[in-house]
Amino acid sequence: MNETRADMEADPEVAPEVLKARFGRDIARDFDLDDPMFNDRFDEVLTFMVNKCPISYSKAGTGYHLVNTNEQVRRVAQDWRTFSSAKGYMPNRPEGLPYLMPEESDPPMHTNWRHKLNPHMSPKVIATYEDVIRKDCNVLIDTFIEKGECEFISEFGALLPGWAFFKNVLGVPIDDLAMLVEGVEQGTFALPAEERPAHMARVFTYLDTHLRWRATQPKRGDVIDTILEGVIYDDGTEAPWDHKVSILVDLTFGGIATTTFVMSSAIHYLAMHPEVRQQLIDDPSLIENAIEEFSRVFPPVIALGRTCTRDVEVAGTEMKEGDFVMLTWGAASRDPRAMEEPEKIDIKRETILHSTFGVGPHRCIGSNLARLELTATIEEWLRRIPEFSVREGTAPVYVTGFLRSMRELQLVWPK
Amino acid sequence: MRVKIDGEHCTGHGRCAKYAPNVFILDDDGYNADRSNEIDVPAGEEENAKRGMKSCPERAITLVAE
Ligand code: HEM
Ligand code: SF4
Repeated sequence: MNETRADMEADPEVAPEVLKARFGRDIARDFDLDDPMFNDRFDEVLTFMVNKCPISYSKAGTGYHLVNTNEQVRRVAQDWRTFSSAKGYMPNRPEGLPYLMPEESDPPMHTNWRHKLNPHMSPKVIATYEDVIRKDCNVLIDTFIEKGECEFISEFGALLPGWAFFKNVLGVPIDDLAMLVEGVEQGTFALPAEERPAHMARVFTYLDTHLRWRATQPKRGDVIDTILEGVIYDDGTEAPWDHKVSILVDLTFGGIATTTFVMSSAIHYLAMHPEVRQQLIDDPSLIENAIEEFSRVFPPVIALGRTCTRDVEVAGTEMKEGDFVMLTWGAASRDPRAMEEPEKIDIKRETILHSTFGVGPHRCIGSNLARLELTATIEEWLRRIPEFSVREGTAPVYVTGFLRSMRELQLVWPK
Repeated sequence: MRVKIDGEHCTGHGRCAKYAPNVFILDDDGYNADRSNEIDVPAGEEENAKRGMKSCPERAITLVAE
């Protein structure tokens, strides 16, 4: 295990020609999140990075550092004064992409908004959505259970998080969901990346219109009303309209773009591991712990960035003011320095430490909602379809950048 | 056993209350209600408290006395 840049440079396993022979590129000094090799050898690359490269570097575009260990990711994520979110979380951000609040802001502005929004997303409030979410799991399952087969992503995984978010948080019917999911997906993964802002613009326009409409309606006391009410920033000015729209865009993004991956990966894992499935059926009280373990090993948000506000050293690497730094949540969640046998998937782990929902003040505001969706899904699925497997001759299809998502998962079960 | 909850670093992951609901309580924002304070862990709850501490992604809960 290497702790610093110097350890890494002295390690023959991390020599440039050795890495090129093994991975096709020098992943310690010339990594690229968008490299198809990373998509294909995801677990192997993350495990190698966290063990061998406490810090790696990418030459993609203007270049960025990647911080990969549990301790250093935590340090950087908590130190928002030195590592700012205000210049965005995406490396090589395409021109014309508006910044998202609260994600792409720093305290005190960030704190102003989180204070307002947090009460709507607390475990207590989210728990009141449980019945609706559970019912929706069953509505979806009803649409395909008789067939004895489904394509999990399009028939369940991409729908449930959107339904849960639309019905419970946004408070709108699900008619426009497909358009928004498409906009978010294309806004994140479309190639060339220059096309992404146009897709994002559709999402902005839709939510802007929705917010304007709600401003004319009687108050419901929900999160939308809270956003409309706005906040007063520390300098005494009121949050402008643009910020309000972007709060809603950020929530929508998180609400529909990420949970699908953990859900699909968990279902895939259970399809492949009948013995674990049986443990969960025999003792459903294990499901919450299993969800935590699945979140640890199947992270949809691989890495997000910060910008250095001053020269600083991390794990023996000099970073300059203005440098872009990615926090590799996915690597930090499998750090052998912080947990035992991280490469093993164990639903009965005594304690589960992970950074899938981020670390520091930007901790995922939707984490409580995501956990509820995941728990409800696994419970209802196993109750209705206890025996299932991946269709022979098929395998899940993945796409990876700074986010990871699953595009296809064919399942079959006895009719 | 006595533990301290860091007021700045607790960001509301809620893991502590999941593992040790009789020790750690969340406020209406979903953050540890005792952040910035020290609390005594009730007898018999030590193991749960430790699990909560170890799974806090912020390392916001630290041991003051065994
Ligand atoms: C398994 C599902 C999810 C994962 C893995 C995930 C992951 C993350 C991560 C890693 C961050 C940290 C951002 C940073 O540090 O810059 C974050 C922030 C955020 N997430 Fe999630 N998320 C999930 C689900 C959701 C859901 C369901 C929602 C909305 C209902 C949501 C809304 C947000 C928002 C608004 C932020 C920004 C918070 C801030 O900057 O203060 N996420 N999420
Ligand atoms: S787990 Fe840590 S960060 Fe989360 S609420 Fe408890 S103390 Fe706060």
